[in-house]
Amino acid sequence: MPSGCSIRALWIINNQDAVVFSRKFPVVEKRWRSAFNTSDGSDPPRLPTDQQLATAFTQRKRREGSARGYGLRVVTQSTKGSDSWLDDPITRHIISLPLSSSEEDDDNNESNENDEMNILWPIVIQSKGLYCILVLPLVEPKEMRDFVSLCDRSDCGSAVGEDLSLSSLLLNMSSITGALMVAHSFGDVTSGETVEPEVVVAASPSVGGLFDSLTGSIGISSRPRPVAAAPVASSSSSSGSSLTGAAALDAPKAGLLDKDLLRNFIASAMPFGTPLDLSLSNIFAMKANGFSSAEPPHQDLKQPAWKPYLYKGKQRLLFTIHETINAALYDRDEIPDSVSVAGQINCRAELEGLPDVSFPLAGLSKAHIESISFHPCAQVPAHGIDKQNIVFQPPLGNFVLMRYQAGCGLGPPVKGFYQLSMVSEDEGAFLFKVGLMEGYKSPLSMEFCTITMPFPRRRIVGFDGTPSAGTVVTTEHSVEWRVLGSGRSLSGKSLEATFPGTIKFSPLKSRRRGDGDDDDSDGEGTENVVNVEEVLVQKMNKDLPAVEMEEPFCWQAYDYAKVSFKIVGASVSRMSIDTKSVNIYPTTKSPVEYSAQVTSGDYILWNTLGKAPSAAVV
Amino acid sequence: MTTPEKTPTKPLSVHDWDVLISDFQDSNAPRDWFTSVFSLSSLPDLALTSLLKKDFPLPSKLSILVFLDEFSHTLFPQCSHETSDRFIEALRAIVQSPTTDGSNGLKEQALISFTSVLVTVESFSVRHVEGVVDLLLALVNRPNHGFDRQARAVACECLRQLERGFPGLLSDVAGHLWTLCQAERTHAVQAYLLLFTTVVFNVVNQKIRVSLISTSVPLVPFNAPSWMRDGSLGLSQGLGADQKELRRVLAFMLESPYLFTSCAMMEFMGMVVPLASALELQASMLRVQFLGMVYSFDPMLCHVVLLMYTQFPDAFEGQEKDIMRRLMLLSKETQIYLVFRLLALHWLMGLLNKVVLSGEIGKRKSVLEMGQKFHPGVFDPLALKALKLDLVVQCYVSSNGLSGGDKSKSAGELLQECLVSVSDFKWLPPWSSETAVAFRTLHKFLICASTHSDSDPSTTRSLMESSLFQNLQVLLVDMTSKFPILVPVVVSFIERLVNCEKHQWLGERFLQTIDEKLLPKLEKRCLLTAYFPLLHRLAENDTIPPSRLIELLTKFVLSLVDKRGIDVGLKLWDQGTEVLGICRTLLSHHKSSRLFLGLSRLLSLMCLYFPDLDVRDNARIYLRMLVCIPGRKLKNILKPADTVSPSTHPSTFFTVQSPRFRHDPNKSWNLSSYIHLERVTSLLVKQSWSLSLPSLGVGNDGYSIIESKVQVDEIEQDSSQELQLLPDSRRIESGKPTLRVMDAKIAEVLERLRRYFSVIPDLRHMPGIKVRIACTLRLDAEPYNSIWGSQNQSPELDKVDSSSPALFATVLKFSSSAPYGSIPLCRIPFLQGEPHWDKNVTNDEGSLEIVLLENTPKEEEKEGLGGGASVTVELEPREPTPGLVEVSMEANAESGQMIQGKLESVPVGIEDMFLKALAPPDEHEDTIPSYYSALFNALWEVCGSSSSTAHETFALKGGKTAAAISGTRSVKLLEVPAETVIQASELHLAPFVVAITGEQLVNIVREGGIIENILWQEEEEEGGQATASSSMGVTGANRDPLRLTYIGYGDDQEVPMTRSRGKMGKIKMLMFLPPRYHLLFEMEVGEESTLVQIRTDYWPCLAYVDDYLEALFLL
Repeated sequence: MPSGCSIRALWIINNQDAVVFSRKFPVVEKRWRSAFNTSDGSDPPRLPTDQQLATAFTQRKRREGSARGYGLRVVTQSTKGSDSWLDDPITRHIISLPLSSSEEDDDNNESNENDEMNILWPIVIQSKGLYCILVLPLVEPKEMRDFVSLCDRSDCGSAVGEDLSLSSLLLNMSSITGALMVAHSFGDVTSGETVEPEVVVAASPSVGGLFDSLTGSIGISSRPRPVAAAPVASSSSSSGSSLTGAAALDAPKAGLLDKDLLRNFIASAMPFGTPLDLSLSNIFAMKANGFSSAEPPHQDLKQPAWKPYLYKGKQRLLFTIHETINAALYDRDEIPDSVSVAGQINCRAELEGLPDVSFPLAGLSKAHIESISFHPCAQVPAHGIDKQNIVFQPPLGNFVLMRYQAGCGLGPPVKGFYQLSMVSEDEGAFLFKVGLMEGYKSPLSMEFCTITMPFPRRRIVGFDGTPSAGTVVTTEHSVEWRVLGSGRSLSGKSLEATFPGTIKFSPLKSRRRGDGDDDDSDGEGTENVVNVEEVLVQKMNKDLPAVEMEEPFCWQAYDYAKVSFKIVGASVSRMSIDTKSVNIYPTTKSPVEYSAQVTSGDYILWNTLGKAPSAAVV
Repeated sequence: MTTPEKTPTKPLSVHDWDVLISDFQDSNAPRDWFTSVFSLSSLPDLALTSLLKKDFPLPSKLSILVFLDEFSHTLFPQCSHETSDRFIEALRAIVQSPTTDGSNGLKEQALISFTSVLVTVESFSVRHVEGVVDLLLALVNRPNHGFDRQARAVACECLRQLERGFPGLLSDVAGHLWTLCQAERTHAVQAYLLLFTTVVFNVVNQKIRVSLISTSVPLVPFNAPSWMRDGSLGLSQGLGADQKELRRVLAFMLESPYLFTSCAMMEFMGMVVPLASALELQASMLRVQFLGMVYSFDPMLCHVVLLMYTQFPDAFEGQEKDIMRRLMLLSKETQIYLVFRLLALHWLMGLLNKVVLSGEIGKRKSVLEMGQKFHPGVFDPLALKALKLDLVVQCYVSSNGLSGGDKSKSAGELLQECLVSVSDFKWLPPWSSETAVAFRTLHKFLICASTHSDSDPSTTRSLMESSLFQNLQVLLVDMTSKFPILVPVVVSFIERLVNCEKHQWLGERFLQTIDEKLLPKLEKRCLLTAYFPLLHRLAENDTIPPSRLIELLTKFVLSLVDKRGIDVGLKLWDQGTEVLGICRTLLSHHKSSRLFLGLSRLLSLMCLYFPDLDVRDNARIYLRMLVCIPGRKLKNILKPADTVSPSTHPSTFFTVQSPRFRHDPNKSWNLSSYIHLERVTSLLVKQSWSLSLPSLGVGNDGYSIIESKVQVDEIEQDSSQELQLLPDSRRIESGKPTLRVMDAKIAEVLERLRRYFSVIPDLRHMPGIKVRIACTLRLDAEPYNSIWGSQNQSPELDKVDSSSPALFATVLKFSSSAPYGSIPLCRIPFLQGEPHWDKNVTNDEGSLEIVLLENTPKEEEKEGLGGGASVTVELEPREPTPGLVEVSMEANAESGQMIQGKLESVPVGIEDMFLKALAPPDEHEDTIPSYYSALFNALWEVCGSSSSTAHETFALKGGKTAAAISGTRSVKLLEVPAETVIQASELHLAPFVVAITGEQLVNIVREGGIIENILWQEEEEEGGQATASSSMGVTGANRDPLRLTYIGYGDDQEVPMTRSRGKMGKIKMLMFLPPRYHLLFEMEVGEESTLVQIRTDYWPCLAYVDDYLEALFLL
């Protein structure tokens, strides 16, 4: 069977565990059945009905703790044959569903274990907003049997470097990768993250800066055009803390599932279960606009499938560098600070025809680029990027041309330390000392800077302190210091600010429990632990919930301050584009514009006096 | 076949379709509303009708089309030719209808759905397929047509699916398709290219002899290849297409990949790679063309390259490192979805596996140098950290194997470095995800050198000697001693190893290390609580000498004993119990000889000095077991019931045992001859009869139960026997109190009784009062052995058993025909046989007769240690009558045999029913004697003169049921000396004595010192009460028809005469008879004879009382 990617079925399940949309692809299913028949000599079980699937999903959820599952083999809960028995975090994304055999519903777990082929695997799971999207790709029966035997091993867990492993299965199964892409596209469709195709925004480059005009769209020959996915949308998945925000944002939009929209999407993207084009913006544009005979194809060149429309109108080429800084600043001798930049170059090419664009990546040598990857439209030679000249044929609309990971060439824009010391169980004194934009020259300018101390598990009842600059806002669970308010940008100079203060919390709730059954550890705690903070840490951590595997660590276990800011004017990694050396072939006279902006991601000042998570530096 | 009789005149409405479709989705079949009117096979026709209707809304048409597609296997399995024809016609009609705005979607969906049906359902003929292909080709054959480019793309995809479903279908027109591919310039070109590639792929794959570039066969009208029409597959097959042509075609195809979307690229490469290998094409061509895709951030493109690489590893010689580096960097890109970063790492691991397995040292070296680049970053999600750590481990191990382990970092250093990224597992709660990741890494680290797939046992041994393992051990011990919070995790880590067949040794080794290294550290601290789970595991493992553990526990107990002032209460009990639990584990897993010295010291220390009583008790039991029971048997006893099965435990003990024997009825029938269940206290009267009265009878004359009307839960309790038996007429309205004339004395009596009755539990609404009969279960060794011994197949066991056999898990079940309620069964975990039991045999035989008193108490003492097991039979009598309790028994013999059968019944006498009356909880301790005395007087009064209180009812506890009292009187003259009376009373009835009057009697009894806490009245108050009672007694006696006083003493006239002679005083006794009756004795003790006045509110008991009194005093 040729490799590739075909989908047997997909289901969308809402937060009440009911199937709200399902689609089966009989053409693919037929291939599965014949492959199964050839290898096994028997007929495979039929695909479950929506009800059976919902039941199986709920049962698995119960067994595995959550819709995604544990991901690791958990001591008491994981059972042989279940996903978490495999002890691999990717089983949170690629799951198996054991199906109850036809009539009996609940209590036949044992018979299921014998009937290995009544398992649906691999099911790719993607939850977005209110919905869970399950995608079942076509695999070879042997691969599924391998998986089942992996799950059923009774030993202590797979070791690295074994002949039969999940890794080698995944390496050989392109359909899983494809299914993941499909699942993500459906996630975007259901969550409504795609912008409506009708939106038209007139080009007005002078107002609101370049970035605004990038996100707003410009019409093509005065006809409605879709707005391509917002250029930074994908970066929202990069860090766990911003993820929750994004999810919350999606929820209200996704009220009712638009089945017609889904059906249309399927008809264009994967009519027979084999995905051909998952670009939402292209698909919805074609749906909305159709094609007219007055729109002839290109004279000599073939139009790529990812560029169904050609641009007509005033030509120009826009670039934006967008960087996100993640930093962990410890202010300690034994742990070095870590600062890294995740950047991308977004592009919008309003160019007629099918031109090639090329430009040298001037910043590539200056910036400490760790990794770099490109949009499929970029022509990367087989030996990789070394000439530092990138050639690409731009698609229509906004797109991410390249992504990179780099060091922070200019040094961290916010330096300093944060100290919080608990005087008693409920009272603490803190001190901030920060320097903004040290060594940053114009045109770099910081638009705002806010430092937040979150206390998700304590309630603030009292607060005292005045910063040397900026204002302070407190909420029930956080203190927010607006070092640099919006509207007063900092450019060409640096700013030093301090902020001493005290903070008072309402007493710990967990105490009432501590006196009862946790008596022993308390008793021992007092003997082992010397200072008030350690006692407090012990008390606080007793009821800390385990975090999801998508988080880097349990944020709630630490004291830290999170810095958020925005810098415009240039990149901080020294990545840049020289607008003068951008070449367009065939040559046209079109203006090239370039802008850059930097925002903070996880930019953390760890409490110097407390515990902090770190990683070895190699 | 269409079924005309069922075809309705009215077609389905939009709503009908919606419901029908969701029915199908939920359960794969239509529901009744549909099947009752239509037949399933008419559905396609209905669908076609709806589709062709002009006024049908577009969304519904689309839904129907998708529905036909999804459920084609149910809908079209045996559709007729006419239906098929209609089907094709319908498609033609839809496709060829003039396009109006917005119906675009319909055409495309129709093409898709009809094609899908055609491909999946096998009942269509080649003719039908040809018809559809013809239609599609006509559509496709208009390259660069601007308006319908999307429809053309869809048509291409439909053709592609048909070609896929019927390989070779389009092979004849391949040349035309190629021309179309070359001509097409709109974005639809991707669909053309894919179609053409599929055709070429099938031609090569099926080895069809056909020209790929010739256009001699006309495109339309389309005819399927002749071999397909004839169904003669074999004939057409040849050597396949011309190689030259094929190369030309392939070269053309390879020019165009930049036109594809990434999904299409995957599909395309899925066909091109096999083609290339079939053509033995130079794979380096592919590499040059496609390797660049690995630098794309589209995961599908990366994967395409990887698949190519795995297919042609040689062509990528020298580039492995680049590819792997790229994958590593891909995993670092924070902008892409986490799952793809995880996938990248998995791919990398898969590739590494391949490289390592391939055994090319050069490649391995270069690849493994990357190892240290995998260290996780601080903000990497935990899932990513886990996989990165896996990779570090993998690189370390493989490179270590390569270089001999000297050059690289020491394992310990590396491990520390690894764990830093999840360092905070050490002080976070044990269930935190960080902890899970850390220990997962430890595990991988540990077993990577000796995987499950490798069958060579020497790897485990070498692993155990390796520095890695040593380091890990040190690390584990350090961690455990510093962070007690980690103990549960360490325990499960070790358990995971121990439970693994291959790595069991490792787990045991860890335990040994902990025993050696950790325990000494713990000794200093004496803070063991957190470590108990670990100690349990240590105790379980018999490869570890228990001495250190016992010593540690001893020190711990000592510290507890010292601390007794500070720690009080539950905590001590808890810790003591934990320690005993470990002792128990030790006992059940180690040889007694190994334990004996240390453990007996520890246990005796505990049972002597431990501050908590319960712990002392239990320690004593364990100590006794350790001392008395031979090791093998002891282990068996201590095993929890469910683990006593041969399969679960591999230890040698169980290997001698054959599978469980089933119950052998032949051997069990005479069970009662060697297993005896006897009362501890024999009955005075062996009751050979029992007066059994229907409850109704009791109700008539003894009690009347009056239901209060507010009772609601009556209905549910329909099993309540009283309720069923109580006639309606007896329900007196008690809700409204009736006015009655009564004097102060009666009022006081009533008040007192009300208070008293409110304490008695209401049998119908709550657990009643229990009567407990203490018994002993004995096993006679000799007869037992003679019957069962021969079955013992294990000679080893025989040696032990010949002396004293034992029974395990004995379950006694009780039943009785007497109204005793349900009797809970009784379990005896262990019963040891006794060598001789002569005495008991006589006892057994004589039990039918009345047995003398002296027999019983001494036996009890003697039993103390060795003998039988004590059993308590718990009755909850509905009526206080004597009876028999039948006993059946089940037990396991040591050999696993099952023993079943009936034992001798246990007799229950009237004296078993004698209980002390209840006192209200608020009654002060000091006033209890007077309370009882007053209660006696009140009951005496009420049972004697029913007239004044006959209409009174007394609410029982809970207030739902009330009891009325109707008394009966009797007398008995006992012609025995006062001394006998007093002695017998003291011996048997002491608890029931409530008052003694008369100076002489008081003095005698007081001196005896046995009867205490009663009301002593030195003055005999002769006055009104006696006369009153006697005078009332006359009327009462006359009125009462069922008075059972006989043997001539019943005549009241004689009473004053006997009493006058040498009277010493009175003993008043109050016996409570469960569930709520009473028996009152007033013994007027004279020197030569004693007159017992008897009153009761349960007259049937008088029948037994007589026998009882005679047995008690006269014999």
